[in-house]
Parts: sequence; C-alpha cells; structure tokens
Amino acid sequence: MRKLIVLASGFLLLALALAGWMNSRQPQALAVIPSMTGQPEYCLTCHADLPEISSSHPLKIFGCVLCHGGERLALDADLAHSSMRGGKNPSDLAVVEQSCGGGKCHSGTATDNLDHIQRVMTSIQSTYAGAIANIRFTFGAQPDLTARFSIQVVTDNQVTTKTGLPSLKAFNPAQEANPLIQKFGQECLTCHINATPRDGMQFARLTGCAACHTPALNSFAKGQVHHLTTVISYSQCNTCHNRGNYDLRSMSFVERSDQLTDRLHDYYQPIAQFTRCEYTLDCVDCHTRSEAMGDGDLHSSKKDIQYIQCKTCHGTLTELPQTHTITEADRLAFKLAFLNPVVQLKVGDTVLLTEKGEPLWNTRVLADGTYEMIGKVTNQKFNFRPVKGTTCKQKVDQQGSQYCHQCHSVQR
Amino acid sequence: MSELSRRDFLKMARDGLLYLSCALTLKGLLRFLDFQPDPAPPTSFDLGPASSFPVGSRTVLSNIPAILIHTESGFSALSLVCTHLGCTVETKDDGFACPCHGSLYARDGSLRQGPAAQPLTALRIEKNVADNLILHTIV
Repeated sequence: MRKLIVLASGFLLLALALAGWMNSRQPQALAVIPSMTGQPEYCLTCHADLPEISSSHPLKIFGCVLCHGGERLALDADLAHSSMRGGKNPSDLAVVEQSCGGGKCHSGTATDNLDHIQRVMTSIQSTYAGAIANIRFTFGAQPDLTARFSIQVVTDNQVTTKTGLPSLKAFNPAQEANPLIQKFGQECLTCHINATPRDGMQFARLTGCAACHTPALNSFAKGQVHHLTTVISYSQCNTCHNRGNYDLRSMSFVERSDQLTDRLHDYYQPIAQFTRCEYTLDCVDCHTRSEAMGDGDLHSSKKDIQYIQCKTCHGTLTELPQTHTITEADRLAFKLAFLNPVVQLKVGDTVLLTEKGEPLWNTRVLADGTYEMIGKVTNQKFNFRPVKGTTCKQKVDQQGSQYCHQCHSVQR
Repeated sequence: MSELSRRDFLKMARDGLLYLSCALTLKGLLRFLDFQPDPAPPTSFDLGPASSFPVGSRTVLSNIPAILIHTESGFSALSLVCTHLGCTVETKDDGFACPCHGSLYARDGSLRQGPAAQPLTALRIEKNVADNLILHTIV
C-alpha cells in the first residue's frame, strides 16, 4: 500500500511538473470579445500583429471566428485552426456563405444591395459559362452559344434579364466526347474565381471574393495577407485578364512574352487596341459592380453583362451622355462613395449615368459642359469632353469601341 | 548528533514527496476555485456635477461611448453605438456617421441613411442627490 502511495505521489508530481512546463511555454493568452458574438476568442494570442482586414470589418465588432471559423478557445495552433473555413481564405466560394453570408452581411436582399454572394456565385467570373459554351460550340458539342454548363451547379430562382438563364449544370470534361474539350477542361480552367491560379507572380491572386478584393498579393509579407478593399487596380484584374491567349489548336494557354515596362505596355497585351482613357484609368473606374460581380442572373457570355461603352461617358454626335442629379434616394451611390471615398458625394451633384440607370458616382458634370472622372485607385482627375459638337465623323449607329479605336487608339 | 539511518532517510523522502504532491494539488485546486471572471461592464456612469455641462453643450463621453446633450429643455443622452452592427459612430457637424458601413444619423440621433434601420439609442440620464448626472446605458 505504501509503495502504491509513493508511486502515485511520484506520478502526480511528474504530471504537475509537466503541466507547469507546458503552461510556461504557452504564450500569454489574449482574448477579444467581439460585440457581434459576445463570446471570447483567443486568436489574438498568436495573431495580434495582423492588421485589421478593413474599416468595415473592425475586430472589436466581428472578431476572427465569425468569418474564419476555428476553435475560438484553443491556444494550441493545430487545434485552433482545425475547423477554420476555407483554410486561410474564408471568402473562397466553397465556404463563402458560411463566412461572409447572412441577411445583414453579404447575402441579404437585392433591394438592400446586400446580395453580393448571390451575384458573385452566378457571375461569369465564377461560372466561366461563356468560355465553356464557346469551346463546346466551337467543337460541335452544342448547337449554339447559350450556356449549359458552369464550373459548378448553379441555379437562379429569380431571372430578371432577357439573357438570364434559370440554371447551369456542372461542367464535367470527362463526359465530353471530343478530346479537345476534355483537354480544355484540364488545361484552361484556371481563370475563374473558384480556381487556384496558374503558377507565376503575374497570376498571383486568391480565390472567391479575395480574388479581386485582396489585391497586390505579392506586396504582403508572408503570413500578413489580411486586407479587403474596393480599391482594385487594373493589375489585380490582370491576374486573369490580358495575360495571354488560349491556343485552340493545342488547347493550351500561351503567356504574353512582351516586356511590361510601364502602364502603357503592361495594361493590355500587344494585340489589343485601346484608347488613352482605357489604359490611364483603372478597370473599376468605368466598369460597374454589376459588370464585375454580376447582376444576379446567369449569363451565357460576358457580352450579356458588359454594357459600359465609350458613349456612356462621351455620348454620340447627336446626344450628350446621360446624367443624373444625386438625391437622398441614391443609397447605393452613397454607399459606394463611402467605401472608396475619392469623392465627397453630395445630394445635388450631377454625375454620368449608365444605360442601366446606375450613377457613375466618381464622375462630375462640370459647369463648362465637360466632365470629370476621379480615379478610384489613383485619385487622379480626368477631364473629358462629349463627342457632340466636335468634328468626329463616327456614325451614330456605330458605337462599338472598334469604331472609336479607328481614330483614337494609342500606338505603342 | 546521531546519524540518519538509510531507512529514516527513505521514509523522510517518501513523506516529503507525499506532502509536496498534496501541497501542489491543493494549490492548483485553490487557484481553480479562486478564479475570478472579468467583471461585467458597468451600466451606470457618474458624469460629475450637472453644472459642468452648460446649456448648449454636446459632450462626447468616449469611454461609454455616448454623447450628453444639454438643451433648454434639459439633459438627454444618446448612445454612440451604431444600431447596424455596433461600431462607434463619429460626431459630425450635421450629426453622426458610422465609419464602418456609412450609416448617417441626424444631430438628434434620428436615422438619415442606412444600412442601419434604427435611430441611435436614447440613454436614460438622471441627477442624484449630490446633483451629479448619472447616465444609464441599460434603457
């Protein structure tokens, strides 16, 4: 009996010593109790050096776990990270609804302009439906260019546009009879926001929302990528766009090989025609959120959703561009101007209007009849004139950019 | 002084081990039982003498956070917590603005622009016997 007591005491002491040693190795626990959950979480114990992800997602309101998942009370890294959503990227579309969704957050109603997730999931950027339909049509697998397939199954219960589709099936290259379409599936599905990008710094981006909203991935130190913004430079768009071309004979991607010396040479690949405004501005200066993130409908092609033209800002020979005077009711314009405050938008400001009736909130109609656009990334002011009243000879019914490029394209 | 026998030494070592492990266990138990959770945040604040806040003043109380307003009709107070998601709103000339999602409130706390759907919360304010203002954050 005495031997047993001695043995038990020895084990107890050993266990206490071990516990004390392990405890001394633990970092000082650092808790935050975010107001949205009211529950303590200890992620800051190791991650206190991370910058806040954006002013719209303050730590004391959101905490970490609401978006990232994980074990909020764990102090052991492996255990704490064991149930994280999307690895390091909770905005990956596979988990975005759990991470970023919710009626008050990013899966609210279209009326409240909170339907971000629905719009992204159905957008061309996510479905890649246009490319799939084009290849299948080109190689005879479907009779027209109407999309049938997407990267993943997706349905839209509320089709609101003429070109909107109710649903798309998941594209499975293995089920295609044509070996070139199979190869397309293997080689060419890297440019949608569900996909891991190709290797190379020029392709570096994350997936999901962060594919666009976490720009300049290469500028962050390792382990410090924690940034969401609406200030998205053309260079972020270029991690997918303007990086090269698909060779349909070999069904492979051919990277551009030119020297990216400056913005003029970097923006578009050599075969592209473009005007001065197209390379001095950033893509987001003109292209709207509906064009970039989708309008909530499933479309067969980029053409169905891209509507900004030269005439949106410059008008035609016979008509001035559409304008709109901002009122209290322009909630979306105020919201967008708040998120990227390059201008102080006020009631009474007169701005340009897209053909879908969206105020281009970063523009102004000036007193002398010219217009001004403020770069959403560069904060630079661009002054420009309407076509009406100039010596332009462009036919009124020819408003595609190729017609403007005939006289205004930039030579490199 | 008699020499310690081997038997006595082992006995002492055994007893010492036993007492030490008991003491350490007891210490751990006491530490566990003595744990004090963080106290609940206060819900009443003594703002000091009412005379410190003249008529026409609007005093931001950033530690609460709230704003104390003194008009001809008396004292009132508004919470500076945005009713949308709980960020602290900033005071502007024409009211309050939420830095997180852009909700705007008028100077009286009424809602001017969402995404918030409710006005700023009015807080209860009263004077105590010493003529100090007491602000209650629980409405």
